[in-house]
Amino acid sequence: MASIYTFILRFLLFIFLQVFVFNQLEINPYIHIMVSPLYIMLLPFDISVIRLMVVSFFLGISIDLFSNTFGLHASSLVFLAYIRPTVFRWFAPRDGYDNIKTPSIFDMGNRWFLYVFGILLILHHLWFFTMESFSLAELLLILQKTFPSALLSFAVCIILQTLFLKKSK
Amino acid sequence: MQNLIAFIQKLRVFFVFLFLQIITFTAYISFITVPKSSYFTTASYFSGTLFEIRHAVTKHFNLEENNHNLQLENMRLRSQVPAHLYEAGRDSIVHVDSNYHQQYQYVPATIINSTTTKRNNFFTLNAGSIHGIRKGLGVFSSNGIVGIIHACSEHFSLVKSVLTSDINIDVMIEDNGAFGLLKWDGKSPNKGQISGITNDIDIPINSNVVTRGGSGIFPRGLTVGKVTEVISIEGKSVWRIEIQFSEKYAVLENTYIIKNLFMNEMTALQTKNEGY
Repeated sequence: MASIYTFILRFLLFIFLQVFVFNQLEINPYIHIMVSPLYIMLLPFDISVIRLMVVSFFLGISIDLFSNTFGLHASSLVFLAYIRPTVFRWFAPRDGYDNIKTPSIFDMGNRWFLYVFGILLILHHLWFFTMESFSLAELLLILQKTFPSALLSFAVCIILQTLFLKKSK
Repeated sequence: MQNLIAFIQKLRVFFVFLFLQIITFTAYISFITVPKSSYFTTASYFSGTLFEIRHAVTKHFNLEENNHNLQLENMRLRSQVPAHLYEAGRDSIVHVDSNYHQQYQYVPATIINSTTTKRNNFFTLNAGSIHGIRKGLGVFSSNGIVGIIHACSEHFSLVKSVLTSDINIDVMIEDNGAFGLLKWDGKSPNKGQISGITNDIDIPINSNVVTRGGSGIFPRGLTVGKVTEVISIEGKSVWRIEIQFSEKYAVLENTYIIKNLFMNEMTALQTKNEGY
């Protein structure tokens, strides 16, 4: 089980990665890689929803501070935190979640991570791009942005986990 | 009773969610339309300084292209200097300085942080209110217009670039003077749109698009781009005009901020007549 310092350090690392690495990677208007959802995903199973939302809010605001999005990241991360317990419940193992484990790809397996994080990431991206465009007339553009971005973000999140995480005992 | 407590507890989570969403939502709407301060933007002191450090590393990446653009601009300006021109009608044209009052002042600034692929793109400049910069001034570069100052702190300012959904700069077709509003649909950082030109006016492909200068932010005749496509919209009497921007915003660094010295006079006149 990771200590509180790990999460604080990881918090700063994710802000740095998002702001100075992935926000600067401008491939084309349809691709916007967001890794911050992974931080919320990796928080422990037994954290309360309200605490989860408050953490998401501060992570999002910190990223917004550096990327001129004025609350877009905060809003979409709070939404992600709000739906995380629901999506976790859909895919819960038969005897419930083991609080010693973390919701990473190593502890929970590829299949579980693909479904849960895949759904969360697509919903998060959809919320983000809808808020960003702020008009339903651009629905096609929103969808054209959501799927390629979510796919690439997912790939990057898996790479990040293999680099920095290992299976907890 | 237990059900009621569970119900309230469930609702409590929802209320916290709603509360946080309302905060971010109002922040987003107020910043995107009328920002009251430069906090929570990259023009704030803290993030501005951080991006300046980053810029110190990355500023040489596009050096060759930027230098080339400045060289071209110098060439163009040099060709207009009287000393470099052959005086055709001697004695017939006399330039008296008192005939020309300076209307626009320029402040040079460098872009230290920018995005070009988001839906709304903002650039951070390393010039701020100590250089006399304030909200609403125009920004342009050697090849075209860049945007409008959205917020500024003491040392940095934030530009709402032309790559924003509601930029609405008034532009016109250089040859025939047909005018409309500049828009951006978010699909490509090289292409913009003009709306509001009625389809009884013939718009030739490749005609130049320049600023109209109606709002006093930009002088008349700054380059914006070239018309690439003129499409008729079914059931509407206006063209949808696609233009190619003349500036490449992804590699842009050197910009100028325009101060209109007659701005107050102009707005006073325009608001005075609004009542009638």
